[in-house]
Amino acid sequence: MQNKKNVKPKKNKIKAGNDASLAIYLFKNRSKKGIVNVFSLVLILGLCFTILYPILSLVPVVFSSIEELGNPNVIWIPLEGSTVSFKAAIRLAMPAGMMTMVKSVLYAAGIMVIQVFFSAMVGYALARVDFPGRKLVFALVIIVFLLPRQSLLLAQYIYFTHFDVFGIMDIFTAAGEIKLINNPIALVMLAVFGFGVNQSLFIFLFSQFFKNIPKELEEAALIDGCGFYRTYFKIMIPNAVPIISTVGILSFVWNYGDTYYTNYFNPDGGYMSTILTTTFNTANKEYIQNAVRVWYEIPLVTDMAFDAVKQAAVLIFLIPLAVVYLIGQRKLVENMENSGLVG
Amino acid sequence: MKGSRKKLPYRVKKKINGLVFASPFIIGFIAFFLMPLVNTIFYSFNKIGVGEKGGMTFEWVGIQNYIDLFATEVTTDSQPMARLFTEENTTMLISVPLIVIFSLFMALLANRKFKGRAVVRLIFFLPIILGIDVVVKMLTMTTGATESLDTGSGLLNGSYITMFLLRVLNVPRRILFPIMNYVENIFDLISQAGVQTLVYLTALQSISPSLYEVAKMEGATAYETFWKVTIPSIIHITLFVIIYTVVDLFLDSAIAEEAYSFAFTQNKIGVGSALSVVYIFNVLAVLGLVMLLMGKVVKKNAK
Repeated sequence: MQNKKNVKPKKNKIKAGNDASLAIYLFKNRSKKGIVNVFSLVLILGLCFTILYPILSLVPVVFSSIEELGNPNVIWIPLEGSTVSFKAAIRLAMPAGMMTMVKSVLYAAGIMVIQVFFSAMVGYALARVDFPGRKLVFALVIIVFLLPRQSLLLAQYIYFTHFDVFGIMDIFTAAGEIKLINNPIALVMLAVFGFGVNQSLFIFLFSQFFKNIPKELEEAALIDGCGFYRTYFKIMIPNAVPIISTVGILSFVWNYGDTYYTNYFNPDGGYMSTILTTTFNTANKEYIQNAVRVWYEIPLVTDMAFDAVKQAAVLIFLIPLAVVYLIGQRKLVENMENSGLVG
Repeated sequence: MKGSRKKLPYRVKKKINGLVFASPFIIGFIAFFLMPLVNTIFYSFNKIGVGEKGGMTFEWVGIQNYIDLFATEVTTDSQPMARLFTEENTTMLISVPLIVIFSLFMALLANRKFKGRAVVRLIFFLPIILGIDVVVKMLTMTTGATESLDTGSGLLNGSYITMFLLRVLNVPRRILFPIMNYVENIFDLISQAGVQTLVYLTALQSISPSLYEVAKMEGATAYETFWKVTIPSIIHITLFVIIYTVVDLFLDSAIAEEAYSFAFTQNKIGVGSALSVVYIFNVLAVLGLVMLLMGKVVKKNAK
């Protein structure tokens, strides 16, 4: 109480003595703040525009009719709207119709579930259980994260071509090996054993998260008679929802857009990402142009038609991602904060 | 007596269960990492052919594959191998600092308080989905060269700003053009900064507001606050961001295609493996360098 009383008169004194200079100070401060605000607003708008520009610039291309492409008079609004590009894109990029997209989404979702399940388990063990060799395993996770996956591509490819786990396959097949290339099992196996898309990163994130869960929770569960598995599934997993959703979103996005594993280990799997990269290869330009010409009876199909169809295909490809992103984006920031990666 | 007897088995049980939980990764590591790694190194010292029964035959050739790789072999664009590596490392040298600084910058902007922040954040993290390899390829590899499609639309190349910098300020071409190149391809930069921005934003949000209050009380300017409060608080996460960026950039590199083409179109598995081994050492060297440099900076700032 006394302190407060002492402070108050002092403040008044300052105000009374330097009224003019205070006004100047306040004015300076405010105008400075205003300038900074305007400046950062301009920067933010500029950045937003830069990020959206590639997508925005597609709109006139994708929605204009094929004949009109390359018309120098058209910049943003096409003279004649048309959905030919989209139709062509759907026909080319989704050979099985909607099923192609459904399959890609289901594949990404399935791998996501596997990745989350097994990464969480490994992450939990690394964070909370002092099993022999824990530090070594943790170091291995980091090493796997650091080494780019493609450095081992050749050996992995050969390994899957002549798949044989420690000679067990002798029992099942005559050749003593099975060919797993172009078999989705290879992709599932990679995810189960912690080597899917960026999975070592996920394991790392999980272990960082579980490290921060208070020990008392575990002890209380033990006193209440929960075993190891019950503690994990009833206590730990419900508490780990933030990190599960973060990893889930990232895993879905990366698996849906993955071309590396699908291209090399299951090229005929019919995933949309693979189809896009192979169909819309520059080498296929003529073929696509001819296809558009024949299908839609358009006499003149230029190079730009190839681009238009390609861009339409990207837009279609992005739809599931956009949905997931719109739902999950807000959570993503909140969750990362609780993920234990920071601080 | 009873208590201790019960406790000990539980601990042992827990350890066993922990091992069970970690076992998928351990098995995976042996099967999908260690064995391929050993095989890659083994292949790289051998000439590999197809046996009569269909299996692989090995013929020890020592370091001949490595010599071939750099002396006689060329990439699919028929350029020398050494050039591929120099190019890769120079891009790394330029891109990593740019991406890291840029993502910090974006995070700082997204962390400001203003109206419509939710929308801005929505857009700022779009690169997480727009930055996927396929999407970037499909968006930027335009063959028709129509201006409206290009992300780097040639806005600056012939513009007044460039002319001004060149003619009036006499900025040397050698310095100006690469910079202009980066400004033009800013989308490439942004598309690779999605996750990094996310990590930085969360790091910024986790800084305690009282630190900023203290700084304000002590009369620190915004500039001082940034260097004395913000930077030391996020320096640890910066190490993570840099390493992530390096790893992410190496993931996009063309080495995989080269190795694949050596092995399965040219039938030179040995040379392809040698390429992989050299590549592994290259990555490790770059990461080692980063950690050595950043480790010092982190230590300095932590005190």
